[in-house]
Amino acid sequence: MKKVTIQGLMLLSLFFISWLGLSQVDWVDLLEIKESSDKLEQKLGDQLWEIYSREADEASNDTILHALDTLMNSICEANNINEEKIKLHVLQKDEVNAFAIPDGHLVIYTGLIKSVDKQEELAGIICHELAHIELNHVMKKLAKELGVSMLISVTTGNSVNGVAEIAKLLSSSAFDRSLEREADLQAADYLTNANIDPEHLANFLFKMSLDGGDYTEYLSWISTHPDSKERAEYIISATGNEEIENSPILADQTWQSIKNTLK
Amino acid sequence: MINIKDFDYKPGEHEAEKASNSYLMSLIAVIAGLPLPIVNLLATLIFFMGNSKGTYFVRWHCTQALISQFSLFFANTAGFWWTISIVFGDGQVSNPYIAYMITIFLFNLTEFVATIYSSIQIRKGIHLEWWFYGGITQLICKKRT
Repeated sequence: MKKVTIQGLMLLSLFFISWLGLSQVDWVDLLEIKESSDKLEQKLGDQLWEIYSREADEASNDTILHALDTLMNSICEANNINEEKIKLHVLQKDEVNAFAIPDGHLVIYTGLIKSVDKQEELAGIICHELAHIELNHVMKKLAKELGVSMLISVTTGNSVNGVAEIAKLLSSSAFDRSLEREADLQAADYLTNANIDPEHLANFLFKMSLDGGDYTEYLSWISTHPDSKERAEYIISATGNEEIENSPILADQTWQSIKNTLK
Repeated sequence: MINIKDFDYKPGEHEAEKASNSYLMSLIAVIAGLPLPIVNLLATLIFFMGNSKGTYFVRWHCTQALISQFSLFFANTAGFWWTISIVFGDGQVSNPYIAYMITIFLFNLTEFVATIYSSIQIRKGIHLEWWFYGGITQLICKKRT
């Protein structure tokens, strides 16, 4: 019995020593795993952006572009996010929608900017999409729903309709509940750090969850982000009783000018 | 790590064939190309139960084949779920993960080679005792009086 126990312990030790020993090698670097996954994401992001940019024109109004850049940069700065890796695109489309695609592309439709009442609500949506990017939700969703092999075959040109399918998937279907919740809570943090009350994001969600309004037929963002009322509630409860001094990023005049331009 | 030993008696042709098959059962999943670690263990377990009333030689080798599957089963299951958590969850490909996968691959390979070798030798009626697993088998598989 003693002999068997010793042999068992030796076998177990051999296993763990082999594991520990092999762990000392930097396999991730050696097998260039990070580089290949970055390359795949970059290729996919470029291909997808090409499709979206064909569907609608990019907004060319300087006031809108400059204001959104300012919003984005202020949020990134307040949260130590590298703004250079975020590629913001504003498309002229009536749909109320915004979404993230691989490689840090963030697409916002002018319909969404039109539908928000306050700049803080827009900042909230930007924070939510930024959270999806920062938490790597986009690639996780694609890997889960399509599989890594499909993504590779799409980027290598072996799947003709693949990119179009992915484009549709990203702009018109929801992330799963846990990822949405994670992005909402992260967005609330981003907003707090940028001195914006997360309540504004909650208000927007709550408003959109109600029926009616002028934009009902274009509400893609809400249809891809279900259970808006519940989400509004947990954003509020996550913020708790914390007093946040709300300081808008854009000057009132700039915000009004954007709204007037889009009327 | 595998010792040739004298058995209590000289097994017959039919016994050697059955005992040899118990090792082949553990290779079923590999042959079928299935990555699920449970398949190996289930196949061996079913064969073990089917031969629980067999002769001492057959029972002894069915037991050794089954026990040898257990440790790999746990190691492979951990690897399987770790992979699932990376593909579908929050896990990331890291150095410990790759090292673990290489380790279980090496252990599986060793077991695979040992299994084929044992199956061939036992088919010839030669009694083999594996390091550690042979000792446990000796402790739990007793000759019926």
